[in-house]
Amino acid sequence: MDFKGSDVWTERYRPKKFDELIGQDEIVKRVKSLADSMNIPHLLFAGPAGTGKSTLALIIVKELFGESWRDNFLELNASDERGIEVVRQKVKDFARTKAMGDVPFKVIFLDEADALTREAQQALRRTMENFTSTCRFILSCNYSSKILDPIQSRCVVFRFRLLEKKDVKKVMDRISLGEGLTINPEAFDMLYEFSEGDCRRVINLMQATASISPNITLDLVNTIVSQAKPSDIKIVLDYALAGDFLNAREKLLDIMLKESISGQDVIKAIQKEIWNLPIDNDLKVRLTEKTGEAEFRLVEGSDEFIQLESLLASFILAGGK
Amino acid sequence: MNLPENIPWCEKHRVLCFSDLKGQDLAVDKVNMFLKNFPKKKAIILHGPPGTGKTSLAYVIASELDAEILELNASDLRNKEKILQIIKPASEQRSLFKKSKIILVDEVDGISIKDRGGLSELLAIIEKSCFPVIITANDIWKQSFNLLRQKCELIQLKEIDYKTILDLLINICKKEKCFVNKDVLTSISIKARGDIRAAINDLQIISRLDESSLVKEVGERNKEESIFTSLQYIFKNANIDAKMLNIFDEVNMNIDEIFLWVEENIPLEYKKEELAKAFDALSIADVFRGRIYTHQNWRFMVYEYFLLGPGIAASKKFNRTGWTNYKKPSRILKIWLNNQRCAKKKTICIKYAKYCHISTKQAMKDFMLVKIILRDNNIREKLKLGSEEIEYLDKHM
Repeated sequence: MDFKGSDVWTERYRPKKFDELIGQDEIVKRVKSLADSMNIPHLLFAGPAGTGKSTLALIIVKELFGESWRDNFLELNASDERGIEVVRQKVKDFARTKAMGDVPFKVIFLDEADALTREAQQALRRTMENFTSTCRFILSCNYSSKILDPIQSRCVVFRFRLLEKKDVKKVMDRISLGEGLTINPEAFDMLYEFSEGDCRRVINLMQATASISPNITLDLVNTIVSQAKPSDIKIVLDYALAGDFLNAREKLLDIMLKESISGQDVIKAIQKEIWNLPIDNDLKVRLTEKTGEAEFRLVEGSDEFIQLESLLASFILAGGK
Repeated sequence: MNLPENIPWCEKHRVLCFSDLKGQDLAVDKVNMFLKNFPKKKAIILHGPPGTGKTSLAYVIASELDAEILELNASDLRNKEKILQIIKPASEQRSLFKKSKIILVDEVDGISIKDRGGLSELLAIIEKSCFPVIITANDIWKQSFNLLRQKCELIQLKEIDYKTILDLLINICKKEKCFVNKDVLTSISIKARGDIRAAINDLQIISRLDESSLVKEVGERNKEESIFTSLQYIFKNANIDAKMLNIFDEVNMNIDEIFLWVEENIPLEYKKEELAKAFDALSIADVFRGRIYTHQNWRFMVYEYFLLGPGIAASKKFNRTGWTNYKKPSRILKIWLNNQRCAKKKTICIKYAKYCHISTKQAMKDFMLVKIILRDNNIREKLKLGSEEIEYLDKHM
């Protein structure tokens, strides 16, 4: 490191060159050859969280623009600014002015582009066309199916895959070395399991754990993990199975608000929890089916909470009291 | 001349130009397109919930075009003769005055089936008019308006969010030189539920009363009475009759608000199987609502309303009696309170998110880990956390 003193590890250890990025070799190879030609098309990075989408976008602009990358790069996060205003104002204003330096275009990185409304995506599509000569877009998303076809057809699409265990190990080894940590094998397994292949998450977990002690043991990891886990969704289900809808509903809203978790997260937790419930197997199957249906409707509908309440009502019925 | 005190504030503070019209950018753009292409389409319908600025927008258009407004209220539109008398000469005489004209038909949903003559004459006027015709309406999706919708450009005005309303109220307070506690203003803004006019009216009353505790008494009253009656009808009757089919017609609320009321009160009436059925109907209604938004297919509103009224009613087999004390929706308030409580957490997350190239939402979700990482003073400095934010972190260890 160029200076002592602490920093957020996800930033300190964020890869800065193409060959430092772990786990996406094919993509890196192709993107690198594009960047070497000093010209890139619009790019769409699709894939799960913590697999290197933002990192690759940052590497690209640093390779292209060198020192002056900040002047030629606009980073927006669509999930924070999801209205049409973002596309119309910020993007347009930035795309309008000429690039500084040798490269004839600027780069806009629109993270979590699948959070944009349809209207905003329509507007984006025109903007992408109008400013092609002065501006390239890198879009990132979790699900490419949520990006309008006309936008996808204007981009070269790269699909990022979840990091394998050996990739995550590499990342962790790099950090252990840099920070002087020791991680015992069981602790490593636990960290990996809880991160679910999400690189940012595993690094955050490491940093939180290491803030207590540089000797990372299973016990230590468990302490942190139990703090970081979303509250027990089981309490909500217990209320529901006991026939108490009002309390189940209230508890659910409390958890969602307090921990800022989305309806999708809740569904995921419920789906995992069903098999541990003290109910008959055929009921478990039926409830799992209901959960799947609720997840589907949640994507189609407009109010997540209503879909979750509807699922809770199914649990009430299953409880049969 | 009127003394200033005698003019309702919502009239006195009507906006005068496009740029002053808050929260309706999309609608303003569409209006400009319409004016540019005039007379390709001769008329526009500005539709949306009450108090979202339909009439204001019409007046702004007139002032931007420097045009004279010929206004008709629903109450004027009672019959054919009346319309002929007022509109026809106006739409045909072109150059008598130099000023251009705009014909404004306010609140067209006031035309009922009885006024059919009025509606068809209005259509004829649109055909013949040499000036833009602006029509405003709350609900334009009634079947009797099919033809009218085809003839017109539809422009939807959205409910105004409470922050925009709050800013507006603060502005008015400044202009009126009256001091109202910000909490009271916020409460008015939230209670108005997107209705600017209601908010300004409430503000005017509050400013006179000078008693912040009375804020609860203002507004909401009529709204509640009508939703109570409708809920009662849905929850107590198992039969689906003509009244059930149009049960929300009389309710002076937009459909999203009705959703919340139904959602809140289902478990007070239904148990077990009925509960599951009712929530299933509500859930599908919400799916249709989602489809309306994503595909802009307003036809789906038919299903949304049907599932929300008759759909909920049919979740039971038999009529029931008894009186239920229906509750106000509490979810939105809880979310709002939570946001107030978490204001500091949010500002921390905004800083962290920017530093780490993630969304604020993601940072909020990761906060249990993030707050441990943020124990480090160096990192706090790097993120430029303020003293209040640091205090929050230390308190929530």
